[in-house]
Amino acid sequence: MSSTTAETGPSPTPPKARAGKSPVAPALRRKHRRELRVALAFLSPWLIGFAIFFAYPLISTVYFSFMHYDGYNPPSFVGLKNWTYILSENPYFWTAMRNTLWLVVVMVTLRVIFGLGIGMLITKIKTGAGFFRTAFYLPYLAPPVAATIGFAFLLNPGTGPVNHLLGKLGLPQPGWFNDPNWSKPSLVLLALWGIGDLMVIFMAALLDVPTEQYEAASLDGAGPFQRFRYVTLPNIMPIIMFAVVTGVIQTLQYYTQAMVAGQVASGTLSGSGQNYFPGYPGGSTWTVPQLVYNLGFQSNDDIGAACVVSLVLFVLAMAFTSLLMRRRAGLMGDD
Amino acid sequence: MSDTLTLDSAPSTSAPAPRTAAHRRAVRQRRLNWIAVHSLGIAAALFFLLPFVFLFLTSLMSDDQSLSANLWPQHWVWSNYVNVFKVPGFTDWWKNSIEYSVLGTVLTVASSIPAAYALAKFRFPGRRVAMMAVISMMMLPPQVIIVPMYLLWTNQLHLTGTIWPLVIPMAFGDAFSIFLLRQFLLTIPKEYLDAAKVDGCGEFTTLRRVVLPMIKPAVSAVALFQFFYCWNDFFGPQIYLAQNPGAWTVSYGLQTFHSAHHTDWNLTMAATLLVMAPVIIVFFFAQKAFIEGVTLTGVKG
Amino acid sequence: MSIAQPARRGRRTAAALAVAASLALTAAACTGQPNSGAQGSTGSTDKPVTITFWHGWSQPNELAAINANIAGFEKLHPNIKVNAVKAVSADTITQGMRATGANAPDVVSDFSTTDVGKFCSTGAWIDLNPLMEKDKIDPKTVFSPAMLDYTQYKGDQCSLPLLGDAYGLYYNVDMFKAAGISSPPKTYSELAADAVKLTKGDGSQQLGFMPLWDYYEQNTGYLGGQYGPTYFTADGKSNLAADPTWPALFAWQKDLIGKLGGYTHLEKLRTGYGDEFAANAFDKGKVAMQLDGEWRVANLQQDKVSFNWATAPFPVPDNEASSYGRGFQTGTVIGINRNSQKQAAAWDFVKYMTTNTDALVTFANAIDNVPSTIAALGSPDLKLPSTFQTFLNVAKNPNSVTQPATPDGDGYVTILQNLGLDLQSGKQTDVMAGLKKADTDVDNSLAQAGTQ
Repeated sequence: MSSTTAETGPSPTPPKARAGKSPVAPALRRKHRRELRVALAFLSPWLIGFAIFFAYPLISTVYFSFMHYDGYNPPSFVGLKNWTYILSENPYFWTAMRNTLWLVVVMVTLRVIFGLGIGMLITKIKTGAGFFRTAFYLPYLAPPVAATIGFAFLLNPGTGPVNHLLGKLGLPQPGWFNDPNWSKPSLVLLALWGIGDLMVIFMAALLDVPTEQYEAASLDGAGPFQRFRYVTLPNIMPIIMFAVVTGVIQTLQYYTQAMVAGQVASGTLSGSGQNYFPGYPGGSTWTVPQLVYNLGFQSNDDIGAACVVSLVLFVLAMAFTSLLMRRRAGLMGDD
Repeated sequence: MSDTLTLDSAPSTSAPAPRTAAHRRAVRQRRLNWIAVHSLGIAAALFFLLPFVFLFLTSLMSDDQSLSANLWPQHWVWSNYVNVFKVPGFTDWWKNSIEYSVLGTVLTVASSIPAAYALAKFRFPGRRVAMMAVISMMMLPPQVIIVPMYLLWTNQLHLTGTIWPLVIPMAFGDAFSIFLLRQFLLTIPKEYLDAAKVDGCGEFTTLRRVVLPMIKPAVSAVALFQFFYCWNDFFGPQIYLAQNPGAWTVSYGLQTFHSAHHTDWNLTMAATLLVMAPVIIVFFFAQKAFIEGVTLTGVKG
Repeated sequence: MSIAQPARRGRRTAAALAVAASLALTAAACTGQPNSGAQGSTGSTDKPVTITFWHGWSQPNELAAINANIAGFEKLHPNIKVNAVKAVSADTITQGMRATGANAPDVVSDFSTTDVGKFCSTGAWIDLNPLMEKDKIDPKTVFSPAMLDYTQYKGDQCSLPLLGDAYGLYYNVDMFKAAGISSPPKTYSELAADAVKLTKGDGSQQLGFMPLWDYYEQNTGYLGGQYGPTYFTADGKSNLAADPTWPALFAWQKDLIGKLGGYTHLEKLRTGYGDEFAANAFDKGKVAMQLDGEWRVANLQQDKVSFNWATAPFPVPDNEASSYGRGFQTGTVIGINRNSQKQAAAWDFVKYMTTNTDALVTFANAIDNVPSTIAALGSPDLKLPSTFQTFLNVAKNPNSVTQPATPDGDGYVTILQNLGLDLQSGKQTDVMAGLKKADTDVDNSLAQAGTQ
C-alpha cells in the first residue's frame, strides 16, 4: 500500500492519447489501471444502486408498458394497447399534459424572474440584511405538505383570512384553489412563496459579478437599467439557464402540492364514502405524475397504462436533462 | 457570506468630498434608494412571513373561531398544541420521521462520499458516462420508476409498510448528493491529495484523513439536504407506508390528519406548524452550511 | 379465483378429491397463499388466531363504536382476536391488497363502493357467496336490496354492506314558511320552482338550491339516479347517450342555473361557501335546500343551528312521480383479502359485523349511519332522531337506486361527472355529442380494464 506511485503527473489529457508514444507509458498504464480499480471499488455501492434502483426499474417499466397487469393476477402481453389507450383514449392524459406544460411554462418563468428580483433586492438591502435574508428564505424550508395545507386554509374562498382581508379592502375575492381558472395560479403563488433556493443561488451569482465592470459601466454613463442589461445579465446568464432547466425538471415532477391542494380544497373527508375526483377543481390540477399514481395505485389498478405515462414523463425529463448537460458543460465539471 | 453582502454596486463615495450641489444630490439619491429598497424589502418580508403569522394565530384559536372572519384569537387556546399530540398516531409519526430522516441521512452521506470522490479525482475510462448517469438519476422524476420499484418491494421483498423501501436505496448513494460533493471536491487542488499519498497513505486513508476534513462544509450541506428531503418526503411514504398507519411519517400523516380532522382547522394548523418546526430549527443551527450548499448546486458547477 | 371451490363441494370419489385438492394447492402456490382457511371446519373453535381488520373510521365516537362491536365479537369467539387498524383510506386499501406478509389485512372495510368492481373482478377479495350458502344466509332476504347491488359485481359477492348511506333532501323550515311554501318539493319542477321562490335577491344571502354538480355531495349520479337510469346495456356497453335520463337532467339543471343568475354567479357563490364538513352553507343558513346524506342530521344537531329544519326524500323527475320516496344509496363495504391465511376466522368476523342485528343497531346508533340489513332497519332499538326516519325509509324503499360496480374503479362515474361539469360551465355545449364522447370514454376504460 505504502510504496505506490509517487510520480503522479498532473495528466489532464486522456490517458489513451499518450499511451502509445510516451516512454513512461507502461508506468502510466499501470497507474491508470490501478486508478480504475480503486475508482471501481469506491463506485461499487453506487453502481449496484444504479443497477437496482435505476436501470432495472426503467427496463421493467418498459416491459410492463406492453402488459396488462392489475397487480393481482399475472401480467399478460397486450402489445401497444396501453400506449394507444393512454395517447388516444384516456380522457385525462392530455389534460394532465396540458396542466403540466402550463406549470412548466408559467411557474418556471415566474419563479426565475421573481427569484432574480428577490436576489437583487437582498444584495441591495443594507440595514437588517440578516433578518430579510432569513425572512425571504424561511418559506422554502416549509415541508410541501404543510405549506400546501396552510395555503389551502389561508386561501379558502369562503372562510380563509386572505379573502376576509381582501373583502375588507373592497378588493375582488378570487376562488383560489376552488376555481378552475385560479387553481394553477394559486399553485404558482405557493411556488413563489418558496423562492428561497433560487434567491440564494442568484444572490451568490450577483455577488460574483466583478464590481469593476459596474464601475466601468457607470463611468461610461450607464444607468441602472443599462448596468443590469449589459453587465449583470451576461454575467449571470449561465445561472439563469441552470435555474430554468432544473426548474423545468422539478416542475415535471410536480406532484405533492397539486395533489394536496386539490384534495384539501375539495373538502373531501376521508371517511364519507363519496368519490374524490382527482384534479379538483374541474381537472385543473391534474398533473402527469398524479396520473401515474392514479392509474397505478389508486382506483384503476392499471399498472401497464401507468408505465406508459411514466415513460412519457421519462422522455420529457431526459430531453431537458440532455439540454442541461449540453448547454452547461460546467455541470459535468470536466476540468 | 454576510460580510460580502454589504457590497454595493453603486460607485464608492467613501472619500470626503467637497460639499457641492452634485454631492448633495448624490446623497439625496442614495437616501431615496435606501428607502425604496427597504420598502420593497418590507413588502416582500410581509409576503413571506404573513402566512406563518396567520397560521400561527389560527393554531391558537378555538375550533369555532378558526373559520370566522376574525384574524386575531379571542382566547389564546394554547392547549391546541397539547391536544394535537392526543390525536391517535401523532407521536408515532414523529418517531417514524426521525427514524427515516436520521437513517436516511447517515446512509446517504456514507455511501455518497466515496462515489463522489472517485468521480472527482480518478481518471478512468467511462468517467464521463458515469457522471452523465449520475446527472440522469438526479433528474429522473421518481414517478418514472415507481411502479416496478413498488412491485419489487412488495412482491419480492415483502417490505412495504416499513421504512426500509425508503431507506435501503440510500445506502447505495444518492445522485444529488454525489453530484454536490463532487462539485465541491473539484475545487480542492490535487496537490493536497498527492501530498497525502506521498506520506504513504492509501486511497481510503487519504479520503478519511485528508479529504473528509476539507469537504466538511459540503458534507454538512448534503446531510442537511438529505435530512430535509426525508422529512418533507410525501410521495415515498404515500407509496410504501400508506398500508401501515403505524409506519406513517409526519409529512404523510399530516395530510391524512387533515382529511380526518379538517373540521378542526385550529388543530390542523397546530399540527402543520409543528411539522414545519424541526426543519426550521435545524436550519437556524446550520444556516451557513445550508446556504453554502444551495449556492454550490448552482454556482460552483 | 374460484379454483378453491371444487374442493369444498367434494362429495365425490377419492380421485376427484385428490385432483381438486392438488388444483387448490397449485392455485395456492401461484398466488402464494394456502386457501385451506376457507374450507377448514368452521375454524372458530380450534386454535387461537389473530386477524387484522382495516377500517377507515377515525373519530373518537366512531372508534368507540367499532371497538365495542369488536369486543362483542371477541366475546362470542374467544379464540379469535381482532387487531383493528383504523383510519385506512381507499388508496391505502388498494396498496394493502397487493401486499403480502405480516402487514396484510385479513378483513378490510372500505368507504369507497367504487372499489368493489375492481376487488371482485381481480379476485383481490374472495367471493362470499359460497360462505353464505354454507352458513345458510340468503343475502336477498337479509340485506337491503340496493346495498346488496353495489357490493357485488356480475354475481360475485366479494363484499357485503356494513352500514350504509342514504341521500335525501334537507330543507330550512323557517325559510319555507317565510316564502309561503307549506311542504317540501316532490318533483324536479317543484324543486326548481321552490328554488327560485326561496332565493332572495341575487342569492348571496339566501339561495334556494345550489344546482352545480360540484356542490358538496351533489353530483350527476345522485341527481340522475332519481330517474332510475340504465348505465350499461345488456352486453355491458355504456348506455349514457341512449338513456333519456341525461339529456333531461342536464336540460333541467341548465334551466335552473339560468333562473338563479347564471353559471358564473353561482360558481362564485359555490366557491365562497365554506368546507362541507366545517362550514356547510346549509348549516350556515345560506342555502334553503340541499341534497345530503343521513349523517348531516348529526352534524346539524352538533352545530346547534339556530333555524328549524326537516328532511324529506329527494324529489323525483315529473314523469317518475310515482317513485317518490326513492333515494341514492351507497355505503361502507367489507370483504376478505384473498391473501388472508385465516379466512375462516375472517368470515366469522365479517358475518358478525354484517348480519348481527344488535351489532348493526348499536353501531348505527353510535355513528348515525343507516343499518344495512332488513332486520336492523326495522329494529325497535334504533335510537335515531325522527328526522333520520326519512333515510331509513329511503333505505327500505325498493325503488332506491345505486350505481353498478365496474372493474375500472367505476370510471364511468367520473367521466359522467366531468361531462356534467363541462356542460354547466359551457366548456361543452352539445349535450348529445358530450354523451356520445362519454360513452366512448367509458367503453375504452372498460376495455382497458378488461384486457386479459
